[in-house]
Amino acid sequence: MTPRLPHQSRGLQLTLILCALVFIGFFLLLPLVAVFAEALAKGFGTYTAALVDPDALSAIELTLLVAAISVPLNVVFGLCAAWAIAKFDFRGKSVLCTLIDLPFSVSPVVAGLVYVLLFGAQGWFGPWLIDHGVRIIFAVPGIILATILVTFPFVARELIPLMEEQGRTDEEAALALGASGFRTFLRVTLPNIKWGLLYGVLLCNARAMGEFGAVSVVSGHLRGLTNTMPLHVEILYNEYNFAAAFAVASLLALLALVTLVLKTSLEWKFGYSHGSTR
Amino acid sequence: MISLHNISKSFGTFAALHDIDLTVRDGEFLALLGPSGSGKTTLLRIIAGLAFPDEGQVRFNGEDVTDLPVAERKVGFVFQQYALFRHMSVLDNVGFGLSVRPRAQRPAKARIRARARELLDLVQLDGLGDRYPAQLSGGQQQRVALARALAVEPQLLLLDEPFGALDAKVRKELRRWLRQLHEQMGLTSIFVTHDQEEALELADRVVVLDRGVIEQIGTPEEVYMAPRSGFVSGFVGDCNSLPVTVSGGRAEFDGQPLDVAVERLRDGPARLDFRPHDAAVSANGHGLPLHVSGVYRRGGCWRVEGAVNGSGQIIEIDLDADQPAPRLGSQIAFSITRARVFAEEGTQ
Repeated sequence: MTPRLPHQSRGLQLTLILCALVFIGFFLLLPLVAVFAEALAKGFGTYTAALVDPDALSAIELTLLVAAISVPLNVVFGLCAAWAIAKFDFRGKSVLCTLIDLPFSVSPVVAGLVYVLLFGAQGWFGPWLIDHGVRIIFAVPGIILATILVTFPFVARELIPLMEEQGRTDEEAALALGASGFRTFLRVTLPNIKWGLLYGVLLCNARAMGEFGAVSVVSGHLRGLTNTMPLHVEILYNEYNFAAAFAVASLLALLALVTLVLKTSLEWKFGYSHGSTR
Repeated sequence: MISLHNISKSFGTFAALHDIDLTVRDGEFLALLGPSGSGKTTLLRIIAGLAFPDEGQVRFNGEDVTDLPVAERKVGFVFQQYALFRHMSVLDNVGFGLSVRPRAQRPAKARIRARARELLDLVQLDGLGDRYPAQLSGGQQQRVALARALAVEPQLLLLDEPFGALDAKVRKELRRWLRQLHEQMGLTSIFVTHDQEEALELADRVVVLDRGVIEQIGTPEEVYMAPRSGFVSGFVGDCNSLPVTVSGGRAEFDGQPLDVAVERLRDGPARLDFRPHDAAVSANGHGLPLHVSGVYRRGGCWRVEGAVNGSGQIIEIDLDADQPAPRLGSQIAFSITRARVFAEEGTQ
């Protein structure tokens, strides 16, 4: 009986694979090709011109700045949260877990609006901030805040299951051998989670650079000042400047591809190192 | 000398340990023996400083260390699954304890490596220093864990189920070797086990735990030959239990008086425990009848299984293997040569 089962399901297997391929081809591959085709439609000159345009450069710069600030902060936060959840028992642990997931389940627009409500001109702290000359909304700090909120689950989510699975005994062993808490973290915990951490950073970074909704709400779309790459793409597109819009978009697509390649190679390495050492 | 005073610990509503008093002498090899959930591992972790009691005191040489964390107690701890650092070579694992000392007390790198090599020699793993833990067998990993714990020169060595994950042959070898090491290094060692054979073979004294309470502390001989409770006699060594009735200082089984002295028990139902080797076939046919349902060789004896009387109570007795084995389905008569009678569970 049993040897027949794989035979019977082969047809089904092929159908499923074909379905997945067609789906991916239509919804992912085709748009990706379209982005690059459209970007290069008017020649390579136009393409590079769109990228070295001062507004485009400023958008790229801002995007890198936002990622450079929000990703490290979320790494620190993610490590703390994952450490607390995986290695200690405390009241309200499951509530904390759920809260970490909140940015995944809430619309990014809401995430942006929250900051407008808090720091906008009519917001709770807005008037006080304006009196003291601090601009958060329609300025870079707001963009960074919104990005942090949207991306903070990535690192924590990646680390929590990993650290829970690894348990506490390695740390206990290090402590029993006289190591301080910090040294235990550096020499035992960090090496145990490094691949997972890198994976989380990668996803966090991709989202930080590509975030549109939340950033759009708080940015104010000031050209050359508060435009990130995704916002810049939108502006160019709305101005019917398709070649330039797709040129900048192609950079984002490239980022996605690089992330994908790194992620896959990490997964390979990750899975591999797991298999060989466990 | 390590002493525990009135140690209690609960996890939520579950009382893991209740009012534990225990003194461990210097140089002693002590076993904490009990079934899972008896609190033995929790007790070991409290001694180590990996867990902290809700009540009570832990003292090392008279000094109160109850609130001292593990790093400051200077104990060697060997974990059940060894907890070797996967990403470090064997040599780095062994040298870890020395390499994390504060700078002022830290030996030079070369000195640490030399010391780690010495320890690997000691645990008979010379030449494997450059390997990674995943490349070693279970027995070898166990030795690395031991060498790593010994590197910080602890006075007290604590081992959590040290042989649990090993196959029978390796286990036997390692036991003997550990006992030697313990004596050679003049350590005080405490190990946790659920395997009574292991406890009896290795330990100077055995602490039998059940449901968070110490049932008995004694030498292996005392614990085996003079169990203080029904739990101890049932848990340590093979044991048969028969329901008996006590009347006038004598035990009766199924209306038949047995030649077993009963002390300190009121008349009424009780439980009689005897070991398989504390039974003999009676030549004259007098004694308890046993309907033989299974016979197999166990070393120099026949282990005979069967039901006693009509009670359906299955027991095991050992008979001399020089005699022919009883046939299956036959009935033999036996007498109990040595037994202990305990109050029924829950009554005293």
